[in-house]
Amino acid sequence: MTAVAAARFPARDESRRTSFVGMVMALASWTMLFGSLFFAYAILRLRAGTWPPDGVEALPRLLPFANTLVLLFSSYVLHRGVRAAADARFGALLGALKATLALGSLFLALQLAVWIPLWRSGFRIDSGVYGSIFYGLTVFHALHVLAGLVALLVLVPGARKGRYRSGRQTAVRLSAMFWHFVDAVWVVMFVAVYLL
Amino acid sequence: MADTRARLLYAGPDFHSEQHIHPEPTGFLARYVFSFDHKVIAKQFLWYGLFFLALGGTMAMMIRWQIGNPGTAFPVLGELIWPQSGGVMPPQAYASFFTMHGTLMIFFAITPILIGAFGNLLIPLMIGARDMAFPTLNMLSFWTNVLAGLAMIISFFVPMGAAAGGWQAYPTLSTLVGQPGAGQTLWIVGVFFTGSASIMGAVNYITTVVRLRAPGMGYFRMPLSVWGIWLTAILNALFVPVLAAGVLLLFLDRTFGSHFFLAGASVTKGGGDPILYQHLFWIFGHPEVYILILPAWGIVSDLLSFFSRKPAFGYKATAISMSVISFLSMVVYGHHMFVVGMSPLLSQGFMTLTMLISIPSAVFFLNWLGTMWRGAIRFATPMLFSVGVVFVFGLGGLTGLHLGAISSDIYLHDSYFVVGHFHLTMAASVLLGAFAAIYFWFPKMFGKMMNETLGKWHFWLTIVPITIVFCGMLIVGYGGMQRRLYNDDAYAFLQHLHGVNVWVTRAALLLGASQFLFVVNFLSSLVAGKKASENPWEVGTLEWTVPSPPPHHNFDVIPLVVNGPHEFSHPDVKGKDWLAQNEPLPSEPAALGAVGS
Amino acid sequence: MHKWPFSWLPAVDISRDGWRADGLFWYTTTLCVIAFTLVTLALVYSSWRYRARPGARAFYTHGTDRKSFAVTGVLAALVFVSVDMNLVRVSQRDIKEATFNWPTAKDTVRVEVMPQQWAWNFRYAGPDGVFNTPDDVVTFNELRVPVGHPIMLNLKSKDVIHSFYLPNFRLKQDANPGSINRSWFQALKTGNYEIACSQMCGWAHYKMKGDLVVLSDADFARWMKEAEGDARRRFDPADTEQMWGWEWLQ
Repeated sequence: MTAVAAARFPARDESRRTSFVGMVMALASWTMLFGSLFFAYAILRLRAGTWPPDGVEALPRLLPFANTLVLLFSSYVLHRGVRAAADARFGALLGALKATLALGSLFLALQLAVWIPLWRSGFRIDSGVYGSIFYGLTVFHALHVLAGLVALLVLVPGARKGRYRSGRQTAVRLSAMFWHFVDAVWVVMFVAVYLL
Repeated sequence: MADTRARLLYAGPDFHSEQHIHPEPTGFLARYVFSFDHKVIAKQFLWYGLFFLALGGTMAMMIRWQIGNPGTAFPVLGELIWPQSGGVMPPQAYASFFTMHGTLMIFFAITPILIGAFGNLLIPLMIGARDMAFPTLNMLSFWTNVLAGLAMIISFFVPMGAAAGGWQAYPTLSTLVGQPGAGQTLWIVGVFFTGSASIMGAVNYITTVVRLRAPGMGYFRMPLSVWGIWLTAILNALFVPVLAAGVLLLFLDRTFGSHFFLAGASVTKGGGDPILYQHLFWIFGHPEVYILILPAWGIVSDLLSFFSRKPAFGYKATAISMSVISFLSMVVYGHHMFVVGMSPLLSQGFMTLTMLISIPSAVFFLNWLGTMWRGAIRFATPMLFSVGVVFVFGLGGLTGLHLGAISSDIYLHDSYFVVGHFHLTMAASVLLGAFAAIYFWFPKMFGKMMNETLGKWHFWLTIVPITIVFCGMLIVGYGGMQRRLYNDDAYAFLQHLHGVNVWVTRAALLLGASQFLFVVNFLSSLVAGKKASENPWEVGTLEWTVPSPPPHHNFDVIPLVVNGPHEFSHPDVKGKDWLAQNEPLPSEPAALGAVGS
Repeated sequence: MHKWPFSWLPAVDISRDGWRADGLFWYTTTLCVIAFTLVTLALVYSSWRYRARPGARAFYTHGTDRKSFAVTGVLAALVFVSVDMNLVRVSQRDIKEATFNWPTAKDTVRVEVMPQQWAWNFRYAGPDGVFNTPDDVVTFNELRVPVGHPIMLNLKSKDVIHSFYLPNFRLKQDANPGSINRSWFQALKTGNYEIACSQMCGWAHYKMKGDLVVLSDADFARWMKEAEGDARRRFDPADTEQMWGWEWLQ
């Protein structure tokens, strides 16, 4: 871990390393938060016996699966953007940010496309523990996606002006870390809530 | 590899290029309200915590008054708060008060004072840094906490009053089934916000310790106070989110009608699980106990050495024991749930793991006693309070054994024995530790000395009643009295305990009254205290190498650390009995020179 | 008003297994008193003996030599083995012999307990041995049991979490909504005793009191017979509030 961090960041760039340590701790904290939600899900599911509970239809899988691909692709795009910034290719960074924003927004739109028909069909947060878990977890995650989008949006003007030169890329790197984290949580959530 | 490890443990990181000196802001708002300076934020947390300590303490007095003198009006305040009942606290208000007493004391008094105030004050000063790693996050942490505190205070004034489901807020009592009012929802909001503030603080503290230690300040040269606060921060960062998840789901249950914690087919309907909340709560709750006590342990370990004029006995063993206990705290939470209906196998596993805590605890006590042994002990007020912590924590820790073993716990569970036990460990010990810290670092914070005579009176008038109060609770608990009873009249088997309850109340009132000595001392010293020198206690940690109060940037030159924190009575040092952490032994070659910036 | 010394002992123990909690309590307390006395003596002695005096200098040691390390380690291990492991041993024995040793004897009396805010409901299966049928005997705030028989309980709450607490039996078991908990006890003496709630369950938690009546075998049988007769007569299919009870969890 230390060796990896040291290799990626030149030792002179102190404040960047400090922010990196802070972000890792913050994400550890967030991991515990989502971990607890998954723990809650596991307990409730073990308790329920049959899953989905009797009389509840299984959730759609196709659209959420497509959505998983959207998010994974957005992570890839953003990663390329951060690499481009490290090479001082600011045009590529700006393009990657815009593409990620578009993909993130597409994810949220597709989430709405999943939620709205289900909600209309009478499957709601108060219609049982299955609904509680489904809406509780996915909406809470979507709020994090939204937060991630805001963080990326804030970076756009700076990227346009080419402000993220070497040594000033902390904001880009940290926002990207958060974005990757939110994506990783989604993959676990997709597997746990939709597939299992 | 071995070289890297040695550098981490004894040398500290060798990068300091980024710690610039910023000029002190001049505007009132930037200087005193929305300040980025860790020392100002520490003072803000101190005032904030003391305010809630007074509020929570007053509530405790009213709670005790109701048990000791049931059916009589609490003097002066009773008439103001409950005019419709002639000043007598109604049972609904009683439930609210013990709930809010616990919540406010834990999250808004102890946490701000020991973690917020002393964490902020001590970490940068003791490790030789100019400020926290993230000053903006630091300020945000305080003001988020203020929002949380406001939510709690507002909750007293909404219809049906503040939360009244106990500080653990077990569903289904804390869902709409048992708490239909807005008070419980505001409680959730407050806890969620104060939790977020704790996490922000924790991320900041951890990063600061990892990244900003002065050259030479390896992990095993940090004062034990920093060790305690650092471990607390790690536990906070990892386990407060678990509580946050729990109250988040509770919030959804209350506001959006979800079924996470609703189960059953009668009054409560749903396929959820109320016990799930208890798991989440105690996964957080047991580390929380150590979150509260670890800073006090660290501070006391330092102060015992400082005032015994002797190096901390087994310093490394103490630091490692604190770490081990932090780890153990993550895996023992089930002992809070022996009567919940857990599987027997799980209960037995938790019991055995719980008992392991004795080993590091025994190491602490032996090291504390070993530190005092053959010392030259100066009994200033901070030392008296530190010895008080050892005494009170001894009582509290040992009574944990009764509760760790299943067959005695089943009888003692949810009784006053539990109340006495956890007050001794995480209220009395932590409170005495906080007083020790305030008396000790007041000169550094405010540049004035506190009055020693008043301080000593305060100590004796605190330690005696505090022991009586909580040992009295142990006794009525063994007598069989359940906790959270409005009075002891309803049951015949509790009648004979009323005498002890009366005396507990009297001692509690004395304890409350004697805190005015502290208030008077604190305020008068602030105004007219004797001016403090740079190092009035003659100790060697880095905060005492700078003026009292320290300048805005703490250190003109980042010190080069060459000693551990407790170099007292070294035979080679003549004329004084201590060495600063950046002061080489006279026998050693001249200083290597400090690292500038 | 209150005479010294106060009486502060727990309620009289009339149970088969209450001695276990009492015994373990005093065993633990004795060990604690010894440990605490030693700590306090050391604290007081060193406070007095090593107080600062002019010219006195503390002994310089970091306590890191092999001897200090060995003494600390041995003492800590000694505490763990002699105190903690002993408590675990005794507790394990109690669990095995009593707490989780569910009675299987033929004469076991089975009762379903459903607390609510703020009272206790009890249900006996009646002649058919099945719960939630018209012949069930249902009582309110009063549990009647025969002396000398194991009494097996199934507990489930109607609304919030309550805890079934028998001070005279050193017994406590939470009753949760939505899941069934088990507990059991056996009385050695007839008489009237109290049932208390020990889990905060709302503002009237402090007076959620029930009665436990321990009857002789003959008295219990006589009462049960009467009550079963009454149950059939009193059963009202329209009163759905009365239709509670669940499949027995052995």
